[in-house]
Amino acid sequence: MKLKYTLLILFIGCLFSSYAQKHITKTGVIEIYSQTPLFTIEGENKKVASILNVANGEVVASTLIRSFKFEEALVEEHFNENYLEPHLYPKAIFKGKIMDFQNIDFSKDGTYNIVIEGKLTIHGETNYVKEKGTLSIKKGVISAKTEFSVSLKAYKVRIEESYKKAIKDDILLKIHFNYKLYSK
Amino acid sequence: MKKGLKIFLIIAAVGLVTGLSTVYYVFNKPHRDVAGELPSFTLEAKAFYDEYNNNEEASNQKFGDKVIQVSGEIVELTKNDYQVSIVLNDAMEGVSCALDSLTIDENKSLISELKINDKITLKGKCDGFDMIMGIVLTRCFIVKEK
Repeated sequence: MKLKYTLLILFIGCLFSSYAQKHITKTGVIEIYSQTPLFTIEGENKKVASILNVANGEVVASTLIRSFKFEEALVEEHFNENYLEPHLYPKAIFKGKIMDFQNIDFSKDGTYNIVIEGKLTIHGETNYVKEKGTLSIKKGVISAKTEFSVSLKAYKVRIEESYKKAIKDDILLKIHFNYKLYSK
Repeated sequence: MKKGLKIFLIIAAVGLVTGLSTVYYVFNKPHRDVAGELPSFTLEAKAFYDEYNNNEEASNQKFGDKVIQVSGEIVELTKNDYQVSIVLNDAMEGVSCALDSLTIDENKSLISELKINDKITLKGKCDGFDMIMGIVLTRCFIVKEK
């Protein structure tokens, strides 16, 4: 019983100490892009969530595969049914850290070039990623942007032989978040 | 001989038209008509969240990719250049809905008047359950009371 209370107090303490340092968004955007001479694929997901903890630089981001929307219905169907298989792997998750976050002064307006590293899980496969991005602070509002490519092979996304010429192995992702201070 | 050529040309023309229209249809296949589809389930936001939270995997089987009609109180409202997003029931334990651009265009004045604590009914495609957003519905349409 005593342990329970101690844990509870610790838990509440953690909540209080971390509240002011967490920034959240549920309306982040990922744009997905692939272009070959045969075919251009452009898609967008506007339901991307992320939490940034400015006290330790930790970043979590997650989204659902089914939330990706494409111009052509056929592409959307293939993306879901043949390639990303959301009935088996519904989510994509990133857990990582901003390197050298100590150099960022979150209390002042400014723009920083950042490097984020962590683990990215897509299609049930987890890979280590280290990518560049920018982070800006304006009147206490933090926004972050990054652009990088993911390899379909690395995440075991199989493309049929007949489509290999139309779809590149490297898919470009453009990601942007506008965070809000987390408060409850 | 002339007759044979004529028949051949007609068959070739019919074949070409069929082929081209198939290609045209496949590439311009319309998106799923969420607005016109009857909901597979009609639920209150809280009951919907509780069921999902109780068993995510079973709920994904039951609700995943289906059209769901959900009613609840607005707790979060995001309107920006990219989207209109409405969270029902609870900020962390709720249903997060992204409105379809068609419904945004049709309901501009209604959307501009929406406020926190308003009751609303939405119909959209269930994408699944996220640790931060709760249940996510996309291509949502505003359902008007009749």
